[in-house]
Amino acid sequence: MDTLFRNTLGPGAWAVMAAIPLAIFALYFLKLKRQPLEVPSTYLWHRVIEDLHVNSFWQRLRKSLLLFLQLLVAALAILALLRPGWQGETLAGQRFIFLVDNSASMSTTDAANHDSRLDEAKKRVASLVDQMESSMSAMVIAFAEQPVVVQEFTSNRRLLRDALERIEPTSAQTDFAGALRLADGFANPRRENVEAEEEAEEADDAPAPQQVELFIFSDGRFPSVENFSLGNLQPQFLPLGNSATQNMAISALNSRRGEDNPEQLQVFAQVLNGSADDATAVVELYLNEQLVDAMEVQLPAKGIGSATFLLSGDSSGVLRAVVDPEDGYEDRLRLDNTAYALLENERSSRVLLVTPGNSALEAALVTERAARIAKVERFAPQDLATPEFSRRVQDGNYDLIVFDQCAPPAMPAANTFFIGRLPPLESWTARQSPDTVLGPQIIDWDRSHPLLNLIELGGLQIADARLVKPPLGGRVLIDATAGPLMAIAPRDRFQDVVMGFEIVGVNEQGQRTFNTDWPRKHSFPSFWLNIVEHFAGNEASQQTHRPGELVELRLPPSNERVQIELPDGSRVPAEIDSAGQMAFQETERLGIYQVYQGGEVVRRFAVNLFDREESDVALRVSETGGDSLNAVEKLTIGYVEVAARTPNADIRKELWKGLLVLALVVLILEWYIYNRRVYI
Amino acid sequence: MPTPSHLLSPSLCAQLERLELVTRKIFRGRMKGERRSKRKGQSVEFADFRNYVAGDDLRLLDWNLYARLDKLILKLFLEEEDLHFYALIDSSLSMDFGNPTKLQYAKQLAAALAFVGLIRADRVRIETLNQKASERSPIFRGRASVWRMLQQVEAIRPSGETQLARGVKNFCLRNPGRGVVVLISDLMDKEGYETALKYFLSHEMDCFVIQVLSQEELEPDVKGDLRLVDCEDQNEAEITVSVPLLRKYQQTLNGFVGSVQQFCAKRGMHYLLANNQVPVEELVAKHLRRRGLVR
Repeated sequence: MDTLFRNTLGPGAWAVMAAIPLAIFALYFLKLKRQPLEVPSTYLWHRVIEDLHVNSFWQRLRKSLLLFLQLLVAALAILALLRPGWQGETLAGQRFIFLVDNSASMSTTDAANHDSRLDEAKKRVASLVDQMESSMSAMVIAFAEQPVVVQEFTSNRRLLRDALERIEPTSAQTDFAGALRLADGFANPRRENVEAEEEAEEADDAPAPQQVELFIFSDGRFPSVENFSLGNLQPQFLPLGNSATQNMAISALNSRRGEDNPEQLQVFAQVLNGSADDATAVVELYLNEQLVDAMEVQLPAKGIGSATFLLSGDSSGVLRAVVDPEDGYEDRLRLDNTAYALLENERSSRVLLVTPGNSALEAALVTERAARIAKVERFAPQDLATPEFSRRVQDGNYDLIVFDQCAPPAMPAANTFFIGRLPPLESWTARQSPDTVLGPQIIDWDRSHPLLNLIELGGLQIADARLVKPPLGGRVLIDATAGPLMAIAPRDRFQDVVMGFEIVGVNEQGQRTFNTDWPRKHSFPSFWLNIVEHFAGNEASQQTHRPGELVELRLPPSNERVQIELPDGSRVPAEIDSAGQMAFQETERLGIYQVYQGGEVVRRFAVNLFDREESDVALRVSETGGDSLNAVEKLTIGYVEVAARTPNADIRKELWKGLLVLALVVLILEWYIYNRRVYI
Repeated sequence: MPTPSHLLSPSLCAQLERLELVTRKIFRGRMKGERRSKRKGQSVEFADFRNYVAGDDLRLLDWNLYARLDKLILKLFLEEEDLHFYALIDSSLSMDFGNPTKLQYAKQLAAALAFVGLIRADRVRIETLNQKASERSPIFRGRASVWRMLQQVEAIRPSGETQLARGVKNFCLRNPGRGVVVLISDLMDKEGYETALKYFLSHEMDCFVIQVLSQEELEPDVKGDLRLVDCEDQNEAEITVSVPLLRKYQQTLNGFVGSVQQFCAKRGMHYLLANNQVPVEELVAKHLRRRGLVR
């Protein structure tokens, strides 16, 4: 396929086209049956004609000027059908995948006419779609937080264009790897039995699998993709945007009680300057839409600045921070100039400690940080069988109950932590051996589990312990030479942790002895802080979510309908399971989401971009490439480097519209000449 | 049939009554007319004196001068005589064009001039070009003949081809005498007008050529591809109307008119181009007066 012309018609249609000039000729000569007109005398006319016959060639030309103009109109129309153009991306290949980034940074309005990058991308995809021939097929994938197949493989250009229209900007981050995997699934559908295929290829020399051209329309705000094999995909990176685009963003907003003065609330806002120049900006803080304070922030080039506001400790409601750049700063992405946070009156969690007395444990549970999270109440083990206990542990009263050297007659409706005992559950007790092991050595522990996050258990000495085998679905947390020492298992919506060794035990003489030297280690208070944070941690600290992220909430179980009010005021229903767990995914918009249950707001959460990659919207420029000043950085997919194609120069310039307009002008000219007898 | 008064409106008649036909040539009238001739003769208007030569009419001697000067001197008077006025109308089919048709225009013009002649007691004869040599028209004289003259003019119908030379030749054969002849035609004869006009010269007629052309001929309003058909001989001319063509037509028309004008000027004829859009009154009162046909 050459670049100058694109054939749009089949041979039959061309035959019809070729017949058009002939038809014009025929009609023209038929038309030349001149209209008779009676005149007094042709005496003078004959003399006129004789004179004009002297330059008869020009005369003939003039006579057939209309014919020439008609042929010209037909020629222009036929030329327009050939779709001449130049400088185009040539659509070489048969199958194409258009990956269109619609993440937050694609809303940056630095394309021509202040269009967003996404609009520009759609335009360029549309121009590529226009070039498709009937034998070609293409599909469109939009990707942000999650890749979405907007249109599957089709050769119907109208479907593709409609699909393009459906792509809407989101506020989400970019998951390029996911999009690639999705494209890969379409391009290399038989990957799982590669070996079989290879054998088949060797056997009957089958044709090579079809190459799929992968057009990536993005601004490249994502890291390199590793461990990915392109297979049949032939990637082409078409970067969008400008390396000089300026943007200012709030990249963090959170609040906490003052370390020194718990009565004061500190609100911390971090502002990102995505420009190559220093800048100043004003950060305004609103509490429930009332301006609380404003602060000027100096921002270094490509750097961050921060502002800290102080609020009184009893403030509550919705915090909104807005960054307002100085005059002359062209902030191209408005989306990330606002950030939201929630100030809730902290609902302090409650932890019930059932122990005959354990000073080390008590000390670990009332550290300053742990105390900020949860309130610890004590209960005596001898009262476990009383109705008082079952009344206190009614549903939802406690977030965590720690049973130290004791076990309740029935499992309470709460997360539990058993020390040296087993839960009174068939699933736990059935698998255990009653023996104790002496001096087990810890050989491994699950560092990825949040309970053991940043916990070092090496060299821990344990006098005796019992092995804890978790029931099905459980997970071993600590492994010793003899077997597992700590395990976690789910129970309904709760979790039970069983630690096989006591911290403080009672020996044969009834004396209290330390069973382990763990309380002397740094990891001990940290471990209990993890426990408290994991089971009783206030969700307020996690109340901000990323756009597109799955939000999981635990609500009091009830039969009431649950609705979620989106930042734009619309409400969507949400499903809640019997245990009160709710998952909500429609978090594309930035702002405050309010969860209604029975007509009341029971929970709120904020969705913020808070992504330096997305907010730093300037197109990344290759630093190593010395040949060109504005070389856009390459994409690295697996081991393949995909060079960026020059922006702005790769849209095919089509001539056919101009040609048709010209044909129309010629047609009007012909009509004018015919009517006004204006000849050259 | 339209009444003859179509040709002459009362206002035109009133205007025409003040006029008279003029000729610069000296013609011998057959009867006494109301016209002062350039010939010296018998009337009441004194013209000149001259010496007597033998053979002069003794009745013209000025006896008072003879008594005073003892010389025989003749007293000359201007002769008053009548004038032969011929209107020769081209009634070919080509004249049946335009609005009003050229023929109608020619008839009006002829009637107007004839009316002037009749008022001034001139002898008026109206003929057409396609009359046969033997077919004579009546001669009208005197105011009483106006009605008959108009009837005759009115009866002229378009027919036949333009054959200027033959028509003029026939006219000259029928009318050997001298006089004023007004040829009213479009002169669109493919054999040329020159031969025809030369016949007038040989007869020493005081000749006026009035070329009547319609607006359509002067500024043709045509467009497109046309096959022009000559209404007389069905001759065809195929044209594609264009600006150069129209320009060329104008040049040709101007050249044609100019050549007729030059031809007439060289031979002492009077030529006038009449557009059928110019009212007859204006043509007679202004243009013909300027040319010296009427006074």
